[in-house]
Amino acid sequence: MGCENVQERISLLLDGKLTPVEREHVLAHTDVCRPCDTYRESMETQRVLLRNLAHAQVPKALATQLRVLASHERERQLARVSFGTRVRRWVVNVELAFDNLMRPVALPVTGGLVSTLLIFALLMPKLSFSHETGAHEPSLKALSFFGSTFPTGSLESSPWNQGVDENSEDPPRFSSPDQPTADPESDYVNIVNLVIDESGKVVDWTVVRGHLTEEITSIILFSRFQPATDLGRTTSGTIQVRQGLLPCKYRRCSATVRG
Amino acid sequence: MATSILDLSAQRALDSTDSEDSRLIEALRVGAAQAYEELLGRFQQPVYSLALRLLDDPSEACDVVQEVFLKVFRNIGAFRAQSSLKTWIYRITVNEAHNARRWFFRHRRREVELDSDPEESRNWKEIIPDGCPSPFEVAFDREKHVMIEAALEKLSPIFREAVVLRDIIDMSYEEIAEVLGVSLGTVKSRILRGREALRVELVGSLKDQVAPRLVPKTAE
Repeated sequence: MGCENVQERISLLLDGKLTPVEREHVLAHTDVCRPCDTYRESMETQRVLLRNLAHAQVPKALATQLRVLASHERERQLARVSFGTRVRRWVVNVELAFDNLMRPVALPVTGGLVSTLLIFALLMPKLSFSHETGAHEPSLKALSFFGSTFPTGSLESSPWNQGVDENSEDPPRFSSPDQPTADPESDYVNIVNLVIDESGKVVDWTVVRGHLTEEITSIILFSRFQPATDLGRTTSGTIQVRQGLLPCKYRRCSATVRG
Repeated sequence: MATSILDLSAQRALDSTDSEDSRLIEALRVGAAQAYEELLGRFQQPVYSLALRLLDDPSEACDVVQEVFLKVFRNIGAFRAQSSLKTWIYRITVNEAHNARRWFFRHRRREVELDSDPEESRNWKEIIPDGCPSPFEVAFDREKHVMIEAALEKLSPIFREAVVLRDIIDMSYEEIAEVLGVSLGTVKSRILRGREALRVELVGSLKDQVAPRLVPKTAE
């Protein structure tokens, strides 16, 4: 057996893969051939050195990652047991994703919402606007109980009423539309309901009976009344102007100014 | 009367291992928590060692190990026990290392690490063997290990796989053939040529080094 053949078989000799006959031949050759013997020794030493290479320790971070991976895969495997488990796992994942998404914005959103509500609650009373109460005005008694009044019949200013004698024959009379008066409506020829705003100006009118006379028109255009109040604050209200064309002797007439 | 003694211990050990593997595989399939722990305890060290010897880069080796165990966990249900569990896992490791090497060659071979000395980045515990050797022995061993690892890195991947599986992981020829998916003859050839190439590298490294000379002197 030549040196080349022997050297090829030394690797198998080290691993115990030679037949007994081949092993005898190789050992016999290495006993007499110094280079082959040196070759065999170097291969043995090399093998021992490789075996002695210390096993590299698994890094702690990797060990932790592997445990986390195992945990996730186990959960995934268990979730596939039934459809119900899969749905439950999906719901949990969605909830977790939503929580993680909302957590950074939860505080700013809540703070913004609360502060917005607070600001609107404080500012809303100041943002009032004129409006008509129409036929839904409460009774005088109820308004008085809560510190509210109808527009009074007293004129604050009117170009018509300056220098007018209230004892003249047919002065206009003012009252609340709902307020009972001594004079029934049937005694009057012209009855007009005026809508008075918070500043006491006439903003609308309705002819209940008869027609608009010159006096009533002047009142509508130029008069200012004492405005109604609601819980101490001025508000719009309705006042009734009554004026009759017939002389007093044909009707039960009396000067009524109520508010 | 001729009497033959049949050594059943090896066969008994093999049967015991097979039954252990079967029990572990069944436990993994049903999702037993203990089974996952046991699998990691048995295989994370050898898989990491194999991956590190095949790749020489600890970070690459960590990635490969995670990929290996991910595949093991996900495909344990389809494992048909045609080979042993150990062989199957090592086969996955070799394939993943091969893929990582191919990916590295395509994408990262031009990168240069800032920390260019791999020796400095390695823990000394990874290199020095157990036992309490003297400082000289420690240094000498360290030198030898550094040389061998450097020589191992220079081997062709095909030969390196065979040598690492045989001489470091200590697998049999048959197991290596299963892991690499080649014939027994190919395994023998690769181991032979791998060892020869390693020997040539080591001899070359030794020749490049200046041998220390001890000159005896009397004490003064």
